[in-house]
Amino acid sequence: MGHDDRDSVLTVNRRDSSAGGLSAAPRWALLCVALAGLSLQGCGLVYDALQYVAPVATDELDAICRRQRVQVGMAVEPFRPFVFPAIWTDEGSRVTGLDVELVRHIVDALSQQCGRPVTPVLHLVRFRDLFLHLSEGKLDLFVSAVPSNMPVQAWAGFAYSIPYFQHGGLSGITRRTDVAERIRQRFQPSSGASPGMTASEQALAGLTVAVQDGTASRHYAAANLKDSRMVVCDSLPAAFESAETSADPWIDVILGARPVLEYMVTRVKKDWQLLARADGKPFFLTRAQYAVVMSEESYRLRWFVNAVIFRLDESGRLERMRARWLDEPYAFPRRAAVEGLPFDVEKMVSHYSQGECRADRAR
Amino acid sequence: MRTGLLMVTLMVWGLMAWGVTDVREALAVERAEAEETARLLAKLIRAGRLVIDQNQAVIDDPHKGDKGFTPDVFEQQLIEEFRKETTIDLRTLAAAPSSILIPPLAKELLPAFVLASKEVVRDAQVVINQRGIGYKNFIPATYGSQAARRFTTQSRVRLKQTTLQPRNPKNEPDEYETSVLKWLSGRPKAEAYVSELTEEGQTLRVVMPIYYAKDCLKCHGEPKGELDISGYPKEGAHEGDLAGAITVTVPLSTR
Repeated sequence: MGHDDRDSVLTVNRRDSSAGGLSAAPRWALLCVALAGLSLQGCGLVYDALQYVAPVATDELDAICRRQRVQVGMAVEPFRPFVFPAIWTDEGSRVTGLDVELVRHIVDALSQQCGRPVTPVLHLVRFRDLFLHLSEGKLDLFVSAVPSNMPVQAWAGFAYSIPYFQHGGLSGITRRTDVAERIRQRFQPSSGASPGMTASEQALAGLTVAVQDGTASRHYAAANLKDSRMVVCDSLPAAFESAETSADPWIDVILGARPVLEYMVTRVKKDWQLLARADGKPFFLTRAQYAVVMSEESYRLRWFVNAVIFRLDESGRLERMRARWLDEPYAFPRRAAVEGLPFDVEKMVSHYSQGECRADRAR
Repeated sequence: MRTGLLMVTLMVWGLMAWGVTDVREALAVERAEAEETARLLAKLIRAGRLVIDQNQAVIDDPHKGDKGFTPDVFEQQLIEEFRKETTIDLRTLAAAPSSILIPPLAKELLPAFVLASKEVVRDAQVVINQRGIGYKNFIPATYGSQAARRFTTQSRVRLKQTTLQPRNPKNEPDEYETSVLKWLSGRPKAEAYVSELTEEGQTLRVVMPIYYAKDCLKCHGEPKGELDISGYPKEGAHEGDLAGAITVTVPLSTR
């Protein structure tokens, strides 16, 4: 940032000095330019004309190379195994997970592309704020198990890479065997109920579902689960805490990203179970693919990130990453110590709290 | 004439001998001061580890956000533990007269280590104060590694935690430390330390052993090989076994 600021100061100074040269030009010429400028206002033509005369260097990849830093956003709420909670190690505070490993690959490729080391500056912020930070230009990209195929209005106007994780989707978990059984019985795709959304809606009708604010599960539930009561939680850990310790609001099912829920019920919250269909197959509300999110105008960066993911996929590395984080037994503190990335403490929300849950009164 | 020459020669020898004695005495004092400083530094890092251990339940409380375990709170507890251990009050250290028990080097380095430790606790605040997250890996060992490293980068004295089979490769013992650790591991637990001159007397090295306490065994005890909460295989240790050592390396005659 500091380099950037200095660069821009220098540029301004250079332009100032050339403007000083113009002051020597006849006054009538300046007047003509000013009149022409005024006549073009409002049409966007002033900008176009300036671009034509002196194209501005807007290549975000060059900018990253120049500052040797890439600003990367990540959700501070854990999305295990994509993003684990920040943890202390012998090297200081670190964050790790599948998404962090992907960032490492992108940064390595950027360093190669730039011909000098590029450092990731991790911003750990709330999931719902990632889009805001990106649109404000604070981030070059962000990655936090974000589905690229969800028709979410709030996520429009951003660009998504090719998927780095193909096996996502929305699903649910419950701690109550009666709820699990009820859904199993209700979700009979071959028993006459219309497939797809209607069947899912029917399966969850009358139940109270908890969703994380700002995530795909919240948007899906708001759009599709009209007959369910909704509880909105600030994070997945908040949903667990609320469901386990409080009857107000009551929670029957927690909806969320299937791989995250699967990780939780198999390794952390073993008294919870994944919802399943009557035929024993996993219960999915919808499928999803996870992608890196960038600004729509970041064309070169998008090509670049796509190429990195494509090469990782072709080489089999993506699949190995998936297996490494989802299938293998491991403890994340050890991985954080060995391969975790440091994050910018100043850019992390202070005193991160998992938050709480509240009933969606609007429904 | 001969008598005069003999007198002069004797005077010269006398002066040289006096000078040599003087230098030897100075070196002995320097070594004693360095040794005491190293010993106090090792005790200070041990006190810091103890403070972290005493606050472990609070640090790992998943139901609490702000734990109140601030750098200032840590400092107060550290100073108190160190005072209990050594009777030296770091709050009044600057005003205390220098002596062999509180050498000038110690008066300079002990506050520097407290500062490095506070920096570690300050940087860990975002991790410590997460609500909903239990184990955060902010434990005596990871605190000690960071505090020692930060102190060492700002000082000519090197501070390190080491053990024969370290979990962190950066804590790997060097040849000297290995030999001392092996020697210590064959001996019963004792409140003793090893102090030796190395590099032809250019460096003083002090090794203070650390022994496993009951609390350590959750991660380092039985069953050997089973993964602990942080993902490392347990060492199968027992209470009182040698856990490792704090080593202090002080360059001599360079002050």
